[in-house]
Amino acid sequence: MNMNISRVLSTLFLLATVFSVRAEGVMVSDPWVRAAPPNAPALAAFMSLENHSGSEVALIGVTAAAELGRVEMHRTKMADGMMKMIQQKNIPVAPHSSTVLKPGSWHIMMIGPAKVPTVGDQIHLTLSFSDGSEQMVMAEVRRGGMMMKGGGHQMMHH
Amino acid sequence: MKRIFLKNSVALLLLFGLSAVLSGCDRSAERLNLDGSMVLSPPKELPEFIFEHRDMGKFSAENLKGKWSLFFFGYTHCPDVCPTELFMLSEVMRKIEKNPESVAEVPQVVFVSVDPQRDTPDSLQEYAGYYHQSFIGTTGEQESVDILARAMGTMYERVYYLNGKQLLIDEEEGVPEGVENSYLINHSASIFLVNPEGDMHAVFSAPHNPDVMVKDLATIQRAWD
Repeated sequence: MNMNISRVLSTLFLLATVFSVRAEGVMVSDPWVRAAPPNAPALAAFMSLENHSGSEVALIGVTAAAELGRVEMHRTKMADGMMKMIQQKNIPVAPHSSTVLKPGSWHIMMIGPAKVPTVGDQIHLTLSFSDGSEQMVMAEVRRGGMMMKGGGHQMMHH
Repeated sequence: MKRIFLKNSVALLLLFGLSAVLSGCDRSAERLNLDGSMVLSPPKELPEFIFEHRDMGKFSAENLKGKWSLFFFGYTHCPDVCPTELFMLSEVMRKIEKNPESVAEVPQVVFVSVDPQRDTPDSLQEYAGYYHQSFIGTTGEQESVDILARAMGTMYERVYYLNGKQLLIDEEEGVPEGVENSYLINHSASIFLVNPEGDMHAVFSAPHNPDVMVKDLATIQRAWD
């Protein structure tokens, strides 16, 4: 009984979060975590952030379950003939625009996971934005590389 | 294996290596009609090396003889580039498996860790084998890895972060305590093709497309004798 009530409450809470975020302008779509070898010392999560507001909003923090390790924001950039990993303080999304986190570009990095999730697992991520909003997303673990089918621009349908 | 390479010197050194390699590319190779690779003419002789491998014990230049090999340099703590490239290479293998006639010979894929300080032969083989069971994950003494990497023209540099800020490592003072093992490695994402004589034959520069890789590989193999 209690379980049910808490489930309903958390569902309501999740919906409320999604709707409030939508009202404030950032929409998260297609969050995913790339499947990695069971002994991988690092993981990466990707998603598309759409800013429907008239001012810049940035992703300023990401938290995940402790077993996924330390979470950081990074960007891969080609420079001096190398793919450079540059840690980011935030990931900006320009007004009425979108920033796509994808392989070879912006990404969320999870360092030193105690247990590497497997294909099909759902990873809970909490995203904090510079406008004060927070959003919880479920990122599915799937295999993938640079050329994902449908990766990036699909909208979330609720 | 413990040697710590300092950012700028290594990058410069290896950058020089790359330009030396690329300047060796002959224009006549362009006649091959390649979409994502550059053939070296003549192929470049590679230095001897002896790396360690979990199952084979050793992995050396001898293991390159008689087959085509695709080399990629990286490290397992790599969150983005290596998984992307290894997945792409696994797609190449799946395409070849689906259509064996698409190439003259199935290549072996070799993932060399430039980070022997943290990657062991065991962890490397488990890591590489996840992407495709045929993949070989190997590494050796840092110096030995550096020599092969330099000969192929790949570049890498270690970067350290503390509290979100990249540290500039002073050559005299070395790496500050506490971050010795938490570095990232910037590296080139090129894939190197070694011919059955063990010489470097072509370079596939990033970004890579599995279809282009298979097509170019077949073109290069068929033009080679």
